[in-house]
Amino acid sequence: MNPIWGSMEQYNPIVWPWPIAVYLFLAGLSAGSIMVALLVKWNRHEGEHNTIWDAMVKAGAILAPVTIIVGLLLLIFDLKKPFDFYWLLISYNFTSVMTLGVLALFVYTPIVLIFMLLIFEDTIRKVKLFSMLIPVIEFIKGFHSYAKIIEYSLFGIAIVVGAYTGFLLSAIQANPMWNTPVLPLLFLTSGVSAGIAANILVGLMFFKSSINKESIKYLLVMDLRVIMTELPLILVLFVGMMYTGGDSLVAAKQALSTGYWAKVFWFGVIGVGLVLPLIIAFTALRNHAYKVGYIMINSFVVLCGVMMLRFYIVYAGQLFTGV
Amino acid sequence: MAKKYGMIHDENLCIGCQACSIACRSENDIPESVYRLQVRVLGPKKLPDGNMIFEFHRQSCVHCENTPCVTVCPTGASFVDENGISLVNTDICVGCLYCNAACPYDARFVNPITHAPDKCTFCKESRLGRGEEPACVSVCPTEAIVFGDINDPTSKISKVLSQRPTYHQRADLGTEPKMFIVPNKKGGIQS
Repeated sequence: MNPIWGSMEQYNPIVWPWPIAVYLFLAGLSAGSIMVALLVKWNRHEGEHNTIWDAMVKAGAILAPVTIIVGLLLLIFDLKKPFDFYWLLISYNFTSVMTLGVLALFVYTPIVLIFMLLIFEDTIRKVKLFSMLIPVIEFIKGFHSYAKIIEYSLFGIAIVVGAYTGFLLSAIQANPMWNTPVLPLLFLTSGVSAGIAANILVGLMFFKSSINKESIKYLLVMDLRVIMTELPLILVLFVGMMYTGGDSLVAAKQALSTGYWAKVFWFGVIGVGLVLPLIIAFTALRNHAYKVGYIMINSFVVLCGVMMLRFYIVYAGQLFTGV
Repeated sequence: MAKKYGMIHDENLCIGCQACSIACRSENDIPESVYRLQVRVLGPKKLPDGNMIFEFHRQSCVHCENTPCVTVCPTGASFVDENGISLVNTDICVGCLYCNAACPYDARFVNPITHAPDKCTFCKESRLGRGEEPACVSVCPTEAIVFGDINDPTSKISKVLSQRPTYHQRADLGTEPKMFIVPNKKGGIQS
């Protein structure tokens, strides 16, 4: 029965539901996977390998555009007025992190699509269906003298995309768990972690013939370092909330100890997402052992962990405001 | 000089009768089961001397000076008009609900007809445009609500603000609402 003042339905604290969490995951993954692909392309030149053929570069080249486009579609259809979404493209408010994100994605999305076309040029030339893309590729290749500078810019704009998803939430003052400067850093690092895992997973599944074991080992070491960075960032997030006191302190205590979302945090985010990969790294994959099965399991649990981190932050951040 | 509309809700005079809420619905054609305005009845709270009181809390847009909703809106659909009233331009709103998420006062809801966020407008589109006071002010049987131009020193609201102690909800956030609350005299302030 409604109280005397009427229905409370409109006061549901979850204003942004699951599609937002999935989008934040996909945007972070997209930025992470293209950054990782670029790092491999730039740094892994040993032996006879031409890095452009490295499975990690191919995986990143396909994952980055696909995940960001799926994420954006999800975001558009989650709008209350999806058919008015074009206003986001023509009417700006520069104090809004969402506007800044739109502008970053304006630059980022076309460049990752172009990167994909160039990496998969041979495949596109072989398949008749894609023949209309050949003139596009020829046109883009006309700018090859700018390739390096575009790649560096892409890396930079990928950092912006990875971090903006954090600023999107941290701009909201009313939710103490969101309103912290750690969030953009946490989302950026966990996005890189997801990018490494997704590139390895897609590389091992679809580009087996061009796998360079050394690149995989390089990425597994990198992932270990990223995870070691994420753990203190999560610690700093909650310690910061506790030292802020007031509503923030209450919110931190509730979010770590109450109900379903506290379980998601301890078992999912910490247990599955961060501790389990560390255990795998120090046991099955000890001394950089190359065991495909374990590497795939490792990548899968990392991805699950990053997804659960986004869900936890989105939901617990809205539910536990300390008020 | 531009007007700066504000409102006072006196928690001593309010009796929680919900007349304001009903008047708001009928004057502004608010669809069923959504509200621009509610008066929450909290309690009864026991006072130290053993007596009991109810507290009446007005739940509506507080028309901040520093508007979190306008800051985050990606298209400029959320805006503050020349008289300090926080409004939504539904034509350019995409329904991302960033404003709903940013509002510390839970003042916004999704209008089931326009699919855009809706909220208290101080009756700008209905009564205020005709030179009348907002519906809630007009029907209040105990005159617990005072509305007017804060920039005009001779207005009723300026006089009451000069004479009565008032507080802001969530003053810690620095939003500087133009909704002033005269606290319940009994049992201490609970914002």
